[in-house]
Amino acid sequence: MKKEILFSLNGIEVSVFVLGHERLIDVLRKHLSLTGTKEGCGQGECGACTVIVDGRAVNSCLYPALEISGKSVLTIEGLQGPEHRLSVLQQAFVDCGAIQCGYCTPGMILSVKALLDSNPKPTEEEIREALQGNLCRCTGYVQIITAVKQAARHLLELS
Amino acid sequence: MKRFDYFLPQSLEEALELKKKIPNSRFIAGGTDLMVQIRGGELKPSALISLRSIPDLSSIEINGSIRIGAMTTVTDLIYNPDLEHQAKLLVDAARRVGSPQIRNVATVGGNLCNCSPCADLALSLLVLEAKARIQSLSGTQDVPLQKFFESPGKSCLSPDQILTDIFIEPVSSNTKSVFLKKGRVKMDLAVASVALLLEMEGEICRKARVAAGSVAPVPLRLQKVEVLLEGQALSPELADLAQRMASESVAPISDIRGTEEYRRQIVGVYVKRGLAQILGWGLV
Ligand SMILES: Cc1cc2nc3c(=O)[nH]c(=O)nc-3n(C[C@H](O)[C@H](O)[C@H](O)COP(=O)(O)OP(=O)(O)OC[C@H]3O[C@@H](n4cnc5c(N)ncnc54)[C@H](O)[C@@H]3O)c2cc1C
Ligand code: FES
Ligand code: FES
Repeated sequence: MKKEILFSLNGIEVSVFVLGHERLIDVLRKHLSLTGTKEGCGQGECGACTVIVDGRAVNSCLYPALEISGKSVLTIEGLQGPEHRLSVLQQAFVDCGAIQCGYCTPGMILSVKALLDSNPKPTEEEIREALQGNLCRCTGYVQIITAVKQAARHLLELS
Repeated sequence: MKRFDYFLPQSLEEALELKKKIPNSRFIAGGTDLMVQIRGGELKPSALISLRSIPDLSSIEINGSIRIGAMTTVTDLIYNPDLEHQAKLLVDAARRVGSPQIRNVATVGGNLCNCSPCADLALSLLVLEAKARIQSLSGTQDVPLQKFFESPGKSCLSPDQILTDIFIEPVSSNTKSVFLKKGRVKMDLAVASVALLLEMEGEICRKARVAAGSVAPVPLRLQKVEVLLEGQALSPELADLAQRMASESVAPISDIRGTEEYRRQIVGVYVKRGLAQILGWGLV
């Protein structure tokens, strides 16, 4: 039997009817056609499905849909600014060549967003720690770390 | 994914009643073990009964002894301002669990009830001699953690029981501990791991608690090693003996993460390295 969940998605209140076995990633991709969030392994290993729930990065492939009621979810679609302009964080990934195939990118960016929201001046060690749960098959991570440092710098200048 | 129903009871009683009523149902905490097992086809529950909406299961209380609600997330263990001082070993182990995304939802109760031989929190809580509080419709009981793990995937809980809290006594000020874990990469289950706690009086070891992970069917206390160390002045020679004894007293298997021989070796080396780190002997 379908049950209704009400939650805040990228700042907008939404209502979706879901089945017991569905996961947050199913709600996003199937019910709401928000395909920015990717599914890689489906078992918590790769981080491609990372979104932020109530301020914390989680794997949406392991998150039961019915648990999302009353919570606040941020996905990659919620990061862009007015007129579809990229956020500082997204722009830094583009500028630093931190994206190749792009499959890991939305998850990477959400993990970094969770980091920078709680720690605006992370050390390299802290950046690496925050990205432990995000795999990238393409870039070799170096450009990603550079992008995070650049984004942190730009965000501090803006604030 | 196979279909199942999902319930969000608002109280322990409601959760226990649902469990009794629905055959082949399971409790779910953070789901980081369970959702993977269901996806892999190892488990085919008819319904999941969530413990997330039950009040009071996710708080930490420090008031002489320490009470940790079973639904406390690994992240909340790490960020609790007092736990770092009162039960450093648990916080050190928590830092080594999975990735930030996993730590943000994985719970301490799930780590214990999943009964994996590699469970990091289980290891540190064994060494801290924690007690588990278990509730069923007929009442509450406290079980020392050493009696909690029965076999891989099987705790002493019967299907109609919920783990509600974990209790630990704060350690004395002359206690030191280390948590050492070998994974293939930083974010990985342990190939082998060791938790070690020593209470020292000058040179003499008054109390030793040692546990090892991924080297037996359940997280294992190495009591022979504890007996070897207690009451003794700790010397590098004794540490060598402890290393050998640790390697010999475990029963690991070979699997994709490592061979039996390698695991024995690591546990021995980690016991010695742990002693060296606590006693300030430099790197072993
Ligand atoms: C990518 C990844 C990496 C991981 N890395 C690590 C690691 O480094 N170290 C480590 O130790 N673990 C690791 N794990 C395993 C897992 O995250 C932990 O064991 C976690 O603590 C489980 O907690 P949970 O709340 O998610 O449990 P769940 O999956 O919700 O539950 C686990 C089991 O316990 C039962 N259960 C849970 N809570 C209760 C309760 N209160 N009463 C009765 N039964 C209960 C459930 O029915 C289920 O059978 C990893 C998992 C993944 C997917
Ligand atoms: S798809 Fe969720 S972690 Fe890989
Ligand atoms: S850019 Fe291809 S996986 Fe990271």
